[in-house]
Amino acid sequence: MIENSLLPRIIVCLDVDKGRVVKGTNFKQLRDMGDPVELAIAYENQGADELVFLDISASNENRPTALKLVTDIASNLSIPFTVGGGLKQIDDVKAFLDAGADKVALNTTAVLKPEIINQTAKAYGSQCVIVAIDVNKNNDELSFYINGGRKLVDRDFNQWTQEVADRGAGEILLTAMHKDGTGSGFDTELTKSISQQVPMQVIASGGAKNEQHFLQAFQQGADACLAAGMFHSGEYTVNQVKQYLLDNDLQVRI
Amino acid sequence: MKNILIIDTKAGNLFSLQAAIERLGFSVTILQKPDRRSFDGIVIPGQGRFGAVIKSIKEHRWVSFLEQALDKSIPILGICVGMQIFFEGSDEDPNIKGLNWFDGSVQALDFPKKPMVGWAKLNSKIWNNKIVYFVNSYAIKQSELCIAETVYGETFCAAIKRGSFVGVQFHPEKSGKVGSELITQVLTNGFREIA
Repeated sequence: MIENSLLPRIIVCLDVDKGRVVKGTNFKQLRDMGDPVELAIAYENQGADELVFLDISASNENRPTALKLVTDIASNLSIPFTVGGGLKQIDDVKAFLDAGADKVALNTTAVLKPEIINQTAKAYGSQCVIVAIDVNKNNDELSFYINGGRKLVDRDFNQWTQEVADRGAGEILLTAMHKDGTGSGFDTELTKSISQQVPMQVIASGGAKNEQHFLQAFQQGADACLAAGMFHSGEYTVNQVKQYLLDNDLQVRI
Repeated sequence: MKNILIIDTKAGNLFSLQAAIERLGFSVTILQKPDRRSFDGIVIPGQGRFGAVIKSIKEHRWVSFLEQALDKSIPILGICVGMQIFFEGSDEDPNIKGLNWFDGSVQALDFPKKPMVGWAKLNSKIWNNKIVYFVNSYAIKQSELCIAETVYGETFCAAIKRGSFVGVQFHPEKSGKVGSELITQVLTNGFREIA
């Protein structure tokens, strides 16, 4: 085992709609959770290692407002944050990075225009590019989806993760669709196998409901874990999960 | 109120850095070229490629400004590439010479997963066990100026110090409360805790 002092990261994901953090209870109803800047500060204070804001950039009409929000977040937060959702071209990526985001997460656009990964990495460095992949496991077959999990991509999943690496992405955010919303824990096997295949860090996402799920994922070699619901509901604070990890001899930042 | 200069090397946004320093009770001035003013502390941000940052620093005549600041013991904080440029050279841009203030050069980190992204603990006499945020593929592996180390495949210098110059390989502006403490230590008194 090569020595590596990086600590496992806990990343909190916030969905943003029209300048507010929202929580989808089902596809039609969005519950208002509060102001993004206030919530970001609250999560930093409760021990989050990073934040991801999704769909902050989705609507073109509200572009200036979204950019200002990103600058506000950057000016108030002293941990790294990523924005994703709706970044369709390199100019969108540049606008959000220039506004203060540390990284962008690319999903559908990365599949449709993969050169955007190279372009972003070249202009800003690999560390600014996270490629998000929504993967689904069905009878041991892996497939992946775009457009928010609605459209199947007719390509080999493993080939895609390799291409993402070759094009210069800095991290992969791997969301297991077959785990999402189940509360049965991360797909630790899948995370482990991808993490061993690609020369970059893999963030596990989908399925977390309690502190044991984080312990399992990190023990299996996940570099980072992302969750939303269990923190937004107030059931757990990030530091509660971290305390549990510490109690189980896993070093984390606290 | 102490006034801190951030040198704008045109390699990225400075919102987080400026805000982090302002939150600590300093005022901040951002300049692309030196003017006649003097400052209570100087920060060289950690964004951009080695070659591009060197070019910007030389083109805008920052080198002699910084040499004078160091002579006057004004605290200087170099972050990531803002520290690396003061060494002899870098694997990132092998054809470009560094500013050569310090011995040693910047080398690619030997670890399968690159870049190094995330939080790591420091091994240090003064900052021991502090956990800070790293984002880098290159680092100074050995330097007699090293005051903190960490490990990513191999041990490298997480921080260096000479006189009133402190260089950090990590990003204190992204390192939560710990990072803020370190910025305050460096900028308020030139970090006199260490000889």
